[in-house]
Amino acid sequence: MSAARILPPADAGSDPISGSALGHQPESLAAFMKLYGTLWSHGILDHSTKEMARIRNARTLDCGV
Amino acid sequence: MTWLPETAPGANPLERVFGLRPNLFEAWRGFAQIFWEKRLLDPVLLELVRLRVAQMHEARFPLASRRPEARAAGLDEAKLAELEHWWRSPSFTEAERACLRFAEQFVLDAKGMSDEQARPVIAALGAKGAVALVEALAIFDGFGRFCRMLEIEPEDR
Repeated sequence: MSAARILPPADAGSDPISGSALGHQPESLAAFMKLYGTLWSHGILDHSTKEMARIRNARTLDCGV
Repeated sequence: MTWLPETAPGANPLERVFGLRPNLFEAWRGFAQIFWEKRLLDPVLLELVRLRVAQMHEARFPLASRRPEARAAGLDEAKLAELEHWWRSPSFTEAERACLRFAEQFVLDAKGMSDEQARPVIAALGAKGAVALVEALAIFDGFGRFCRMLEIEPEDR
């Protein structure tokens, strides 16, 4: 794996998301997490289908997160 | 016009489709708006990449709109008329060119992004700005695909 192009903020914690480069923009990260949480917790599509799509997308993009 | 068999009440084609899932629509709008409301990036730059991504998807709905924040900041139609061939126009700054190149690679093949493409963006925007740009591109790219897939198109006036 190549080195990250953007390092996390110096005060980032150990959370894999907020402790990543995304921690540079806490306001947009919070808005994204609200959208993501709505998608997963308040949706009508079953979780298996969403998880398959998520993993397939991650594999297509070669994204380890 | 969308091929969906059912639509929601709404003032425009987007509201009538995305309104089928109102909680998702509200959360999406909150995310999409924050880049403009909080000025996470220069509004002219943001509008240029938004429209360039829409051009690549040939997504007529986002192409038909203009962000007032960008217009207020000085972006005019003469410059936008050159956006489709930005690389041969002198109207675009070096930072804009770097971000447009980055945006195009993002849409075409994000995992193929090279250090040579990323470095000038980080140099121009800093880490905070580069993160905001990538997040904004995710919104614009996803929205373009969403509009194309669901055939959300501007209404003829």
